[in-house]
This record gives sequence, structure tokens and C-alpha cells, in this order.
Amino acid sequence: MTSGGQAVEPRPVPGRVTAVPAARPRRRRSILRGLVLVSLGVLAGVYLFPFAWMISTSLKPTRELYLQPPSLWPLRPTLDAYTAALVGAGDWILLRNSVIVCLATVAATLAMALLIAYPLTRLRVSPRFRRGLLSWLLSLRFLPSMVVVIPIFATVRTVGLYDQLPALVLIYTAFSLPFAVWMLKGFLQEVPQEVEEAALVDGAGRPRAFFRIVLPMISPGVLAAGVITFALAWSEFLYALILTATPRSQTFSIGVWSFVTEFEIIWNQMAAVGVVSALVPIVLLLCARRYVISALTFGAVREKT
Amino acid sequence: MPVLFLLTVVVYPLVYAIGLSLQYYRLGGFAGLHNFAFAFQDSLLGASLRATAIYVVLAMGIECLLGLALAVAVQRTVRSALGRTLAYLLFIVPMVTPPVAAGVIFRLMYIPEYGILNVLLRDLGYHGRPILWMSSPGMAMFSVVSVDVWQWMPFVFLVLFAGLSAVPPDVIEAGEVDGAGGWARFRHLELPYLKPLLLLVLVFRFTDTLRVFDHVQVLTMGGPGASTEFLSLYLYRIAFKFNNLNYASALALYVVIIVSLLFTVASRYLSEELA
Repeated sequence: MTSGGQAVEPRPVPGRVTAVPAARPRRRRSILRGLVLVSLGVLAGVYLFPFAWMISTSLKPTRELYLQPPSLWPLRPTLDAYTAALVGAGDWILLRNSVIVCLATVAATLAMALLIAYPLTRLRVSPRFRRGLLSWLLSLRFLPSMVVVIPIFATVRTVGLYDQLPALVLIYTAFSLPFAVWMLKGFLQEVPQEVEEAALVDGAGRPRAFFRIVLPMISPGVLAAGVITFALAWSEFLYALILTATPRSQTFSIGVWSFVTEFEIIWNQMAAVGVVSALVPIVLLLCARRYVISALTFGAVREKT
Repeated sequence: MPVLFLLTVVVYPLVYAIGLSLQYYRLGGFAGLHNFAFAFQDSLLGASLRATAIYVVLAMGIECLLGLALAVAVQRTVRSALGRTLAYLLFIVPMVTPPVAAGVIFRLMYIPEYGILNVLLRDLGYHGRPILWMSSPGMAMFSVVSVDVWQWMPFVFLVLFAGLSAVPPDVIEAGEVDGAGGWARFRHLELPYLKPLLLLVLVFRFTDTLRVFDHVQVLTMGGPGASTEFLSLYLYRIAFKFNNLNYASALALYVVIIVSLLFTVASRYLSEELA
């Protein structure tokens, strides 16, 4: 680069950090680095061990539950606890209920969220109205559900939807809408207006332009919103606890809870339902992991990973 | 149209709640503000509020401090993309675990006779009486707080970590040139960028810990005694065990009013900072 042997040693340029004074901080930094790595390792243990313990317990035959001290891993792993809990105790009905409720909620939420978000980003609405609506939606996120559930319980009972799946679908849809609208709004804003206008000029109507052009472009967002809605509805506990009474409409969360409270000591079955209930959202959301944080913070935080 | 749906689902119950709260329990008939006034003589409510306050402060405080410290530490030391992805995956799992399942997980750990935690403690040389994690008042509070921290510290971490990654590198470089040490770098360079996110995290964690229900219901059901009977568990008991929807509605409306006031204040700051 340099011509001749003049610039063998780079002269310290004013305003640039030279290597010499950085030597001591660097050693300190490597100690710090080690500390952080160790504590991350410990944290990994703290986070993974409870899961491992639950899975291990769920695979144990009942006899092994009473070993003292308990063994870390099942000596003879079986799936007995799963079949006993799902088939024997009839929890597969609750599992089926959960799947139905979640799917219906996803469909309803996505349809309605698009119906709100699309006009909001495309039609001429006053910015005041738009901002007002969006922040009202955001405020719903902070409403304590215990507060809403009391009047909702009274209402649902008078309408005759008590202990029926549609009641849950209705409530879950209403409370997934805020985040779904926010999320889809973000994706819709990224579709350039020109693309759609070009389709309109070419003679396609609004609906056609929407389904043919816009929807495919935001399909990753729709998919992610759907997955997250599913997982949220799956995890929901309070409304299900209050609005259902019999296996006809109870969801899987309730099944997990009643295992804990009613059959206290059958730990392997309790662990088995715990595994099933945790596995579904974990798998789903690991697939949509890029969007989890931004969905949970209403798009305030964008994730790059 | 869908907005109308949402309006009916949200507003109608509120109106209904106001109606309920103005009636006498069982007797019906207009009660005026009787239910609202009764809240001030309700000693159980006082106990519940105290427990809730302890829970909110402990859980929110520990989550935010730990999450912040960890975010800064990881941001400065873990440079490889692989390491960061692993940390991300590790921390996203507890967050997406259903609270009920988290309750089960920790119940399995905390059960005195079978629970692995007491066994581990014994192996580490603790030979006292087995610790009653869930059935002695102080420990029960610790247990439910620990589940909350376990689940949501990662949320704070991930949000703040994303915030730190958004600090322009040249700002940091310029700071290093000026001789900013680790603390000064955090205090003067990174903190200003993190401020809106910290506020956001505080708002989320505050409202979420305030309404905590699921994993407490699984772990302690408010017990022992009323030591972990937080506001929403207390409301649950009044409304659905004692069937006093009228008094419960009155209490619920108090909560709505307080939370909306807080939200209005917070959202003004938030929209200023984030916009």
C-alpha cells in the first residue's frame, strides 16, 4: 500500500485509538467475557433443566415416582403417562376442543384484522381517527382480563353461550384482534401503494387487487399473525376457566390445571399434560420466532435474528 | 364493522359492569355507591392489595434489572452470530410456554417430598428440614415470583438487546475515543437509546404482573392463607366462589379506572418517545 519503507510504523494519528493503551482493558474485558459466558451457561441450565425434568417425569412409569431419591432420568421410559392422561382420563376431548377453538379463533381473527387493518392503511381516513383507533386497540392489551371477565361471564350466561365453544372463540378473537391489527398494519404499510395502484389501473377491482396482489405479498405476516394467535389462544386460561364447566367445552389448559389440583400426586401424568400443553406453542413459535418479540410489543421492537 | 364487533365485546360488558356494581348483592335494587364504599372497609382487599404490590415490585424489579444487566453484558461480550442466536432461542422458549404449563413445571420442582429442588439442595449439603416451597407464606411468594421472573426476564432481555443493537456503532466508537469507560458508555451513550424501550417494558411488565393469575392459580391458588391471593385471584374468589358479581364489578371498575389513567399517562410518553 505504502510506497517505499517510510511508513513501517504507523504514526499515531490524532483522534484514533492506538493499540498500546488498550492492552490492560482488553485483559479485563476477557475476564468479563468469561464471567458473562459462565453466567449464560448457568442461565441455560436454569432454563433448560426444568423442561428436562418435566419431560423426564412424564416418561417415568408410576413405580419410579416413589424412588428416594428420585432418579434424574427414567430407568424404564414409557409413554404410559401420556396414554393414561389423554385416553384414560379423557383429556383428548379437551385437546380436540382446544384445536377447534384455536383454529376458529385464528380464522376469525385474521379475517377481521385484515378488515380493520386494510382500510386503515389504504383508504383516506383522518390521521386523528387512525391514531385514536390504534391507540385504543393498544389500550385493550393492558386491560386486566380479570376485570372484563366478570361482566363477560354475566353476559355470556344471559345469552345462553355459557359452557359452549363459540363463547370462547368470540372472546379470544376479540382479544387477539388488537395485536393482529397492529402486526398486519405493519406489513400492509410495507407494500408499496404503487403496486396496488398499477393493478387498479389495469382494471382489477379493489377486492381482486387485494386478493391477487396484496395478500400474497403480506402472506408471511398473515401466517405469523395466525401462528401467534393460535399460540395465545392455546395458552389462555382465565376465560376458559370461567366460561366453561364441562368437558364439552373445556380447553386443554383447564385439563392441565385440573390434573394439578385434583390428582395432585400422579406426577407423571401431570407432567405429561404439561409437556403436551407446552410443546404446541413452543414448536409453533419457534417457527415464527422472528415475529414473536415484535408481536408482543405491538411492533415497537423489530427483531433481526 | 369489525370495529363495531370489538366495541360491543368490550364496551357492552363495561356498561353491564357499571349496572351490576350499582346494585345490592342478592337483593338487587339500586344501591348507589354502596359497593364502591365497601371496598374501603374490606380488610381482605387490603391484604390482597399488599400482596399484589409486593409481587409487582419484586417481579417487575428483578425482571427489569436482571434483563437490563444481561442485555448489556451479552451485547458487549458475545460477538458471534451463533452465540447470539443461541441466546435468542434459549430465551424465547420460556416466554412462549403457556403460564399453566410453567406452573406445572415449577410445581414438579417445588413439591417438597418428590421435588427435585430439595433433593439438589440436599446434595449440595443442606440437611435442614425440607423446604416447603409452596405452603409456607414467605416461600410461596418467592415461588410465584420466581416463575414470573423465569418466564419474563427473557422478554426484558430480548427487547433491550434489540434496542442496544440499534445504537449506531459510530456513537460507541466516538465515545471510546473520548475515553468513555464501561459505565460512562452505558450511562451516557446507550441509556438514552434504551429509555423509550425501558419505559415500554415497564408498562408491559407492570400491567402483566398486576393482573397475574394463571401460574399462581396452578401453584398456590392464592394460599397458604391469603399470602399469594393477588388482586385477580381475590376478584375471582368474590365473583365466582361467593357469586357476588356486584361487589366484584365495583372492584373491577376501580381497576379499570386506575389502569386507564396510568395508560393515558404512559402512552403520552410512549408515543412521544417512539414516534
